[in-house]
Amino acid sequence: MRTVIAEDNPLLRDGITLLLGEHGIEVLAAVDNAGDLLAAVERHRPDVVVVDVRMPPTHTDEGIRAALTIRSAYPETAVLVFSQWVETSYARRLLADHASKVGYLLKDRIVSTDDFVGALHRVAEGGTALDPEVVRQLLAAPAVDAGLARLSVREKEILGLLAEGRSNLAIAAGLHLAERSVEKHVTAIFTKLDLPQARTDHRRVLAVLRFLNAERL
Amino acid sequence: MTDWFRAGLRAVLTAPFTARTWRGLGYLVSGVALGAPTFLLGVLGFVSAPLIIVTAGLPVLAAALALARQTSAYFRAPARFFLGWDWARPAPLPARGWRRLPAILADGTAWRALVYCFAGWLLRFLGAYAAVPMLVLGVLAVTFPVWWSFVPAGTFDTPHWSGTWRFVWQGALLLLALPWLVRLMVGADRLLIRGLLEPSRDSARIAELESSRAVLRDDAAATLRRVERDLHDGTQARLVALGVTLSRIERRATDPDVKSLAGDARGTVTEALAELRDIVRGLHPPALDDGLGVALSTLAARSAVPVEVSVLIDVRPGDATALYFTVAELLTNVARHAGASRARVEVRADAGWIRLTVTDDGRGGARLDGLGTGLAGLERRARALDGSLLVRSPPGGPTVVTMKLPREG
Repeated sequence: MRTVIAEDNPLLRDGITLLLGEHGIEVLAAVDNAGDLLAAVERHRPDVVVVDVRMPPTHTDEGIRAALTIRSAYPETAVLVFSQWVETSYARRLLADHASKVGYLLKDRIVSTDDFVGALHRVAEGGTALDPEVVRQLLAAPAVDAGLARLSVREKEILGLLAEGRSNLAIAAGLHLAERSVEKHVTAIFTKLDLPQARTDHRRVLAVLRFLNAERL
Repeated sequence: MTDWFRAGLRAVLTAPFTARTWRGLGYLVSGVALGAPTFLLGVLGFVSAPLIIVTAGLPVLAAALALARQTSAYFRAPARFFLGWDWARPAPLPARGWRRLPAILADGTAWRALVYCFAGWLLRFLGAYAAVPMLVLGVLAVTFPVWWSFVPAGTFDTPHWSGTWRFVWQGALLLLALPWLVRLMVGADRLLIRGLLEPSRDSARIAELESSRAVLRDDAAATLRRVERDLHDGTQARLVALGVTLSRIERRATDPDVKSLAGDARGTVTEALAELRDIVRGLHPPALDDGLGVALSTLAARSAVPVEVSVLIDVRPGDATALYFTVAELLTNVARHAGASRARVEVRADAGWIRLTVTDDGRGGARLDGLGTGLAGLERRARALDGSLLVRSPPGGPTVVTMKLPREG
């Protein structure tokens, strides 16, 4: 896997570069601002971009804007955004236009290296990766969606894990369930949300989007 | 002759030659010329005042008042130059946008300034009208013996040169009286200015305190924001970098003891990061950087009760922080005590105020002095910001908490 990193803190930038190198992920460029990031993506066409939300010059949402630009201009490049804190509106902006190949994680998660590398692989393979904290906040939010309101506690829990980008197998392992029963729950979720029978992957993303949209601005 | 009598006599005799007299005279004369346009403004204002019944009078009056409000500095310049007087500018009008119209019509400062535009000029005109002829006649009369011989015989009723001395005495009396007239007029003008243009000492003091407190509040908000930045961009980044290094050690270590030690250390770093996040959230909610609307939506998303948020105005950073923490506390109350199924948060402008209302459809019965709700604390905080907090919560609900903060321009 080939990546470009955009992070303005040099300590962290070097740390991530070394870490990814040790996990056999090639870092093509490590830059410290959104402009250089876009230039690097244009030159290297990486599989995944790892980008910090807050970067110079304004230190607000440069990373999110750069991520959105990359997702629309380079469809083959996945984006994993890092934020210093949980901001559900960032996650919504990211997922509003591009339901796949995006991720939004707290910076803290880099410390849990396996989760971090796993999320990187997931988004590169076309999935999504949402921080558990983001998902927790979204789950705490009211379900105004009638379909969502019909979900049982267990189904909501599983939908939350779907939103994080987990596979059925991973969910089963996490909840100590058989993969078969997770599949049943997922099917029940699709039914309750009235999602048409089509390609399963697509329905997973749709379910997650319904879930995210339930939280209003 | 007693000492005070001698001193008084000297004062009377030297008064025409003091700088004070000439400065006063210069002030009166220049004031007539400089005050002519503002006098017209005053006339315009008072003519248009009764005309407001006809709609055309209203904008004219409002414009005249708005202009009159600005004349304080215009009058101050000559007063400072000639007499060394100084006074503070009036505080700016608190209202904004179209609300300026009703505000200016009800603004005492503007009306007083308009009265001064009118009355001040009349006073100075009167002063100059009396003082200038007094000066001219006085000087001519005192010097009459000198130029008597150049006047063709018969122009004045003074056939003999010795007769001219009578005029000298009269001229000298005029010139001796002139300084006192000037002082009287200038003194009267001073009283007018004090009453009509100068902000009263109390209101000047209040304005000063208000502005210094606003500065302090914004400073405090800016400091918290900087601390938040430092923690996020410095401390948090370092902790993450430390965690990354520990993770690499854990991965490379072949000794199982080292592996597990590194793993434990990494766990501690993760906990420290979670703690840091909570601390920062209490200091300065980073979401506030993206505006109050985003920040309140994030709060609402965290709430256990469905919350609808609408923020209809922009507010200053200091006020945004206050509103954010108030909403955070009120929503916690809603979730904990109200037993509500829905809540609404609204921030809107209300004349010169920011009005925050938090409504829920719960069981009501919330009281300012109720224990464990922190409403009393919120009320104290609102008052510290010159605002107010009102709780309307009949038994059975609904509960409406309204906070008002002054909206500064």
